[in-house]
Amino acid sequence: MRFMMIVKATTDSEAGVMPSQELIDAMQKYNEELVKAGVLLAADGLQPSTNAIRISYPEPGGKPKMMDGPFTEAKEIIAGYTLIEVKSREEAIEWALRMPDPHGFGQGEIELRQVFEVEDLMENTETLAKETALRKQVHEQHKS
Amino acid sequence: MRFMLIVKATGFLEAGINYNQEYVDAMMAYKKSLARVGTLLANEELQPSSSGIRICYSPQGGEPEIQVDPFPADQELIAEYMVIDVRTENDALKWALRMPVPADRVSMIEIRRLGENSDTLPEPGIQALEADLQDHLHMLRRL
Repeated sequence: MRFMMIVKATTDSEAGVMPSQELIDAMQKYNEELVKAGVLLAADGLQPSTNAIRISYPEPGGKPKMMDGPFTEAKEIIAGYTLIEVKSREEAIEWALRMPDPHGFGQGEIELRQVFEVEDLMENTETLAKETALRKQVHEQHKS
Repeated sequence: MRFMLIVKATGFLEAGINYNQEYVDAMMAYKKSLARVGTLLANEELQPSSSGIRICYSPQGGEPEIQVDPFPADQELIAEYMVIDVRTENDALKWALRMPVPADRVSMIEIRRLGENSDTLPEPGIQALEADLQDHLHMLRRL
């Protein structure tokens, strides 16, 4: 089963302040452990929301409304994510607890969310077959 | 440049109410058109936050506080994301505006650029080898 560890933004990450070398080292070590255990699928850091855009559809069926960043509530913004594949929810929680405090100054927050497997989502067998084909296509295009 | 298109959760999704088939088909067609031009790098849907947890670190240090779900839907929870690779920010915006939205619900999509330092994640096998190599290097340096 796959889980996503979502690191929430902080006032520092939104201001573009880089984490300390100590934290970078700790994070790198943690990532190495994820790799060694064979559980890491993907990880990325997001740029601050200053250059972000939100498209909302406030009227169902109506025209979209666009809003430029930066967005205000740091704790509702994502700063990074790590996607892992583990055997159980407990194992995912263990890994999330082992991740270094992503901020170190009291604003660090990690949200752990389980990712849907294709089969959970699609009851329609035709849709399921299409989705499986799509995933295969994406995988093959980006196999370097 | 890589962008993440984040689809925000709604009360419907958090309650586990699925989209209608019409929307599912439109979304599938959209993703196919992204994949056809080689723009789609990744795409996942997250389970409702009722199965999620949050780990919060306090300024006083010490043990983190663990919050168990579900989280309020107005706290901008993520329902789905796509990672796309495009030439310009404008291209990312164009793709985001093409994404279908369910006709009967209020929706929101956020576009965020990804950091380029971890540009492409190599195959897990190669990463494992690299990690091993790093270990050997550390060991050798200590000698």
